[in-house]
Amino acid sequence: MDDVATKIVEILKKNMKEPPESVGLETPLADLDIESLDLAVIVFDIEDTFGIEIPYNANEEVEDFATVGSVVDKVKAIITESKASGAAA
Amino acid sequence: MTQSSDRRRVVVTGHGVVTPIGIGVEEFWSALQKGECGIGQIQSFDTDDLQIKIAGEVKDFEPRERLDSKQLLLADRYSQFAGYAARDAVAQSGLEVPLADDKAYRSACVIGTGIGGITTMEFSYKMLFREGKRATHPLTLLKTIGSSAAAHVSIEYGIKGPCYGVVSACSTAPHAIGNVYRMIREGLIDLGIGGASEASLAWGTTRAWQAMRVLSPDGIWPFSGNRNGTVLGEGAGILVLEELEHAKARGATILAELVGYGMTSDAADMVNPSIEGASMAMQIALDDARLSPGDIDYINAHGTATTVNDINETRAIRRVFGKDAEKLSISATKSMHGHLLGAGGGIEAVAAIQSMRDNFVPPTIGYAEPDPECDLDYTPNEGRKREVTYAMSNSFAFGGLNAVLLFGPAPA
Repeated sequence: MDDVATKIVEILKKNMKEPPESVGLETPLADLDIESLDLAVIVFDIEDTFGIEIPYNANEEVEDFATVGSVVDKVKAIITESKASGAAA
Repeated sequence: MTQSSDRRRVVVTGHGVVTPIGIGVEEFWSALQKGECGIGQIQSFDTDDLQIKIAGEVKDFEPRERLDSKQLLLADRYSQFAGYAARDAVAQSGLEVPLADDKAYRSACVIGTGIGGITTMEFSYKMLFREGKRATHPLTLLKTIGSSAAAHVSIEYGIKGPCYGVVSACSTAPHAIGNVYRMIREGLIDLGIGGASEASLAWGTTRAWQAMRVLSPDGIWPFSGNRNGTVLGEGAGILVLEELEHAKARGATILAELVGYGMTSDAADMVNPSIEGASMAMQIALDDARLSPGDIDYINAHGTATTVNDINETRAIRRVFGKDAEKLSISATKSMHGHLLGAGGGIEAVAAIQSMRDNFVPPTIGYAEPDPECDLDYTPNEGRKREVTYAMSNSFAFGGLNAVLLFGPAPA
């Protein structure tokens, strides 16, 4: 796992009461006993850590939040996007 | 008959509202009947760096034109809304105010709020922390405290008995109204003002809501398959409640009877509601009124347009009403005025009372597509004439705090 993935797994584990030993990229968030309010806290934590904004609405099912890997991909995409728009500005 | 003569009965003799779709009951009710939407782009603060840019703001509330006393002119907007709604409600009741001492100590004023004068607090902190000011305005504290609306209204009308605010997020208003109802029933007082007020729309509070990820950036469409969250509103809803014989003795016009009140706590989760908590609150209100599910014609639903609330509320109604659920008219008037948080159940109680007086069920507007899990009659998009003898108003708050009011016709 790269840096972004490691940090995201750390954030997920920090917000779980009993974090499992191994959390992989394929692990579905549903298996981690993460509920809607936990997810709002986790998204906040990720935003704060990486200095980004993640569009997320708890009322909608979003594929980006299906597995740990999909969250990592989403965060990487947003980081790349914000760097690109920052460079352009 | 629902009530026997073994206990004191409580009637509504006045009501007043401040809402995003009208100030005063007449404007509010007319807008509800027509299905008008009060949600729009936020005007009162800059939303450039926010994801959420819409709300139900109260328009054209000019305190100098709406309020009598200088004290209220200096109060927080939340107290001013309460002051105006109470003024309308008291005027309608025909009570002689300020109350004479023989009535003053037999009267109560319970006006709650979800969060009180938070925009005053936000402004003060901005001045201190960002602008480097050395002091806050001297009225900051008095404007902020969540009991200030109740205190202001008691001062206006000389109410000298029980007076305080109550707090239970989105169930605040029915808890306040229910509290006055029980005090009258139990003989502690003969009349009281009950309701709630909220004016918490500001940049910082919207940020805080945005972080919870439950607001819709687009609109509030309760029970509709395409709903994607709630939309905040502001305003106040206030009732004058009175013991039946007291109201009759002074020849007051009786708008409705408050026949039942139920309250429960899920004791489960801060945000995920339980079917049991919601259904038990409705059941307790029915039992209190000595009514059967089949007696109820209309439910003004909590209907916040979050995914979970609307499914949970539907299931709870089904659990309580069984086969009678099919003949209920239900609507979520939040689709028009937004979610007024603590004050929501106050203006929704007024909507329930008006539905009985006019035999008209207001619609749930913005209803675009069915949700298989929300399968009741929500009065989509168009209001409807229908006989409404008994109307229920549901409020289910964060923390799992539930309060249900049940209104019936004015006793003959």
